[in-house]
Amino acid sequence: MSENPSNPTPAPDVADLALAEAEQTDRIDHGPGWFRILWSSRKARAGIVLLGLYVLLAILAPVIAPYRGDDTSFAPVLLPGGEHLMGTTTQGADIFSQLIWGTRVSLVVGLFGGLFATAVGLVIGLTSGYFEGTWIDDVLSLLTNVALVVPTLPLIITLMAYSEVRSIWFTILIIGIISWAGAARSKRALMITLRHRDFVTAAKFAGDRTPTIIAREILPQMTSLVAAGFFGAATGAIGAEAGLSFLGLGNTESVSWGTMLYQAQLQGALAQGLWVWLLVPGLALSGLIMALTLINFGIDLISNPHLREDG
Amino acid sequence: MDRHASAPDDVTPILEVEDLTVRYAPKLHPALDAVDHVSFSIRPGEFVGLIGESGSGKSTLGTAVLRLTERPGSITGGTIRFDGMDITSMSQEELRPYRWRDFSTVFQSSMNALNPVVRVEDQFRDAIELHSSRRGGEVVERIKELFDLVLIDHRFIRAYPHELSGGMKQRVNLALALANDPKFVLLDEPTTGLDVVVQRSILEGVRRLQAEQGFAVLFISHDIGTVMDLSDRILVMYAGRIVEEHDTDDLLREPLHPYTKGLLGSYGDPRQETVRITYVPGRPPDLSQPLQGCPFAPRCPERIDRCLTDAPPLVEMPTTRTEGAVTALRLDAAGTWRPPRAACHVALLQRTEPGTPGLPERTVRFAGPAFEKSVGETTEALRGEVLLDVADVTKVFSSRQGLRRRETLAVDGVSFQLRRGMVTALVGQSGSGKSTLARMITGVDRPTSGSITFHGRQGPVDVGTLGGSGLRGYRSLVQMVFQDPYSSLNPNKTLEYILSRPLRNHRQMGRAELGAAIDELLERVALTPARRYRSRHAFELSGGQRQRVVIARALAAEPELIIADEPISSLDVSIRAEVLDLLQRLVADSDVGILYITHDLLSARMLADDVVVLNQGRVAEHGIAIDVIRDPQDEYTRRLLDAIPNPFADIYKP
Repeated sequence: MSENPSNPTPAPDVADLALAEAEQTDRIDHGPGWFRILWSSRKARAGIVLLGLYVLLAILAPVIAPYRGDDTSFAPVLLPGGEHLMGTTTQGADIFSQLIWGTRVSLVVGLFGGLFATAVGLVIGLTSGYFEGTWIDDVLSLLTNVALVVPTLPLIITLMAYSEVRSIWFTILIIGIISWAGAARSKRALMITLRHRDFVTAAKFAGDRTPTIIAREILPQMTSLVAAGFFGAATGAIGAEAGLSFLGLGNTESVSWGTMLYQAQLQGALAQGLWVWLLVPGLALSGLIMALTLINFGIDLISNPHLREDG
Repeated sequence: MDRHASAPDDVTPILEVEDLTVRYAPKLHPALDAVDHVSFSIRPGEFVGLIGESGSGKSTLGTAVLRLTERPGSITGGTIRFDGMDITSMSQEELRPYRWRDFSTVFQSSMNALNPVVRVEDQFRDAIELHSSRRGGEVVERIKELFDLVLIDHRFIRAYPHELSGGMKQRVNLALALANDPKFVLLDEPTTGLDVVVQRSILEGVRRLQAEQGFAVLFISHDIGTVMDLSDRILVMYAGRIVEEHDTDDLLREPLHPYTKGLLGSYGDPRQETVRITYVPGRPPDLSQPLQGCPFAPRCPERIDRCLTDAPPLVEMPTTRTEGAVTALRLDAAGTWRPPRAACHVALLQRTEPGTPGLPERTVRFAGPAFEKSVGETTEALRGEVLLDVADVTKVFSSRQGLRRRETLAVDGVSFQLRRGMVTALVGQSGSGKSTLARMITGVDRPTSGSITFHGRQGPVDVGTLGGSGLRGYRSLVQMVFQDPYSSLNPNKTLEYILSRPLRNHRQMGRAELGAAIDELLERVALTPARRYRSRHAFELSGGQRQRVVIARALAAEPELIIADEPISSLDVSIRAEVLDLLQRLVADSDVGILYITHDLLSARMLADDVVVLNQGRVAEHGIAIDVIRDPQDEYTRRLLDAIPNPFADIYKP
């Protein structure tokens, strides 16, 4: 073999091997993006489409709804058909228009109530988790535990009943205040496990300060948990708003599905043959809550790859 | 037993795998064959080792053989015959009577395989009563027998799993696997994560039991040295295929596949005059991409043209042992010896057509890059100024249990000095206090008594009293290389971001300088060409590449002291030397001091000038590396030396 001078493939030297390695690295599969994972789940897909419909309805309310929700100038108790697709209420408002305009309220409450509860839960959970074992953690954990065990419904009812303002923002504030605790608990637990990871210690050695470490190293690891928490909180907020309104404790300025139910129940809608009045806001509400829950199934797939292989 | 009649000269294999393919088809990723047309067989009572880098498909093959493959994986081709019976497509219910009676296993994560709320005795009872007619007292007798086999005191029979130490749990698992006298046991990395000395004693126990009881074993491990020490025959796996099958002794004398040579090259005897360990650069191929030619070709130092185009089949190879004596051996081959097989064009051509143009020389060593250290290069005396002075340091941990306080002495009066431009190795098994010492040196913990003084360029620093901003300043001088590169790099950050943090924070670099500095760091740790790596995420890199990034990050701060805490123990053996080589070059190129923490005296010999052996928090032995290793004074040091797997011990006597 040595007598043959022509060596067609010289053994690779170190530089060649490094290049081959770089090329191999170039070809690494990045894996699907988060939206592809979400979209791959049938449930989440249905949820996204459904939620999209609601958002569209809310945005296009002025176009879709034939009348204003608070316009009571029609003949009362008209049965569905003709001018009024779903009939009119006992006060002479168009039910279909009320339903469409009500979507806005529910979505706004869901979005901001969810955001508010998530933000409070995140801040308190992260802080107490990062300072685990110190008095800061003791105080915040105590607060969280108290918030968890306080019976929420009586608390909300009391707060709402004694409040002077009855705006939608006040409702959002109250809902946010009562629903952050569970989220704070789970964020605290995750923070504690992440805080002791080597890459956090490494960031300390790299000279990063605590806020940078939390924002750049730890928070991104929590994204899917935070997102799941948000959708959970939004679902809760929408339900709570409807519940409060149904009890007559909602905002009095605008029409929501909750106030529709409240009015329908108060005016004996069924007895007057206006079952549509009672039925549609309930259906719309369940549809929206279902959409959010379905989306959360998809978010589970992002945080737990093992689930992606099931059904 | 009639089925033997057709082949009277051979024994029915206990396990026969033919053309087995296991395919992973996740929904959102491209499908890949983790096990690709694999065939092998194991005879009753045979001890077979299966080696390969992580990701080579070893464990997938192991689980498939037991029919435990889980979604998204599935067996898509081939057959598995157990004791002559085809189990490839049996239902789980049909398999149940055979499991744990005829074949059993000790898993990789066996530490968690015992039910924590059930007493050990009851777990044995379940396994024994299900598969045998033993009841009551007989079962207890059997458990006692099994505990004797694995050398555990009978009083632990009534214990709960959490009352056992890690090593004991693993031995209990082994005893459990043997409870019903199985014919075949699969050991899948059964001692990974255990202490070296404990590991040694367990594996020696396995081998003794196997010899006594005569069950067959398939032993999967990435710890090639241990596999070599124990096995009769070795299967080498690469990219889902078996690339070599060879009797252990012959394999050590004449490895056929260059990959096998690369794996073997990672071992050496630290006591020898010159220690040379090689490494296989690069990484295994991505199996979801179509492969052309031999999967090992891109990393192979012996490749020829044909390797890049044709995939070599796994064929029988004539070796030195068989050449000239083939007929004699064939006649003798009543099941005791079988010719080696390998999938390599070069090895085959070298043996069949040695005149082929372009064929490299026949070699038993891996012809790739190596890290070599001879006695001459090793320090004979310590020079350089003292960088770190650890003086009589003691650390006591106290925990409260009810009203009583319990105190644990983790580090007890340890003193040593570390000099600029030198490597001091801190050697000991787990629990010896070496990590506690590292935590104190980095300022994470404070010593209970004694002092740690760092003599940096900006004057001496008393590490034990640092807090807040002082600690931040200190950390720009002292950096850390972590054990596990999978957990010490945030998987979602780009290398650019990871490396920019210390540059910005410790060296106050602005955006303009960053780019060049990052490239320089990447080049320094051999991640070249740097521009192709800058925007990579940590999760895209292999273990070795990741560890190089971790080293680059430690270098970014231009530290005076680097603490490397077991930097190679979580890497594949085939790439360990590369990281050692890198660390060695760092010391040579700059006057940084390295504190190298390890349990492995071979790597300490390769890297360190100075060795401190720790045992139960005390210094057992301290001296120049080569003296300590070649002439250990302490019994404990000798025990650590004996625990180093050395497959070549019987072959190449010094």
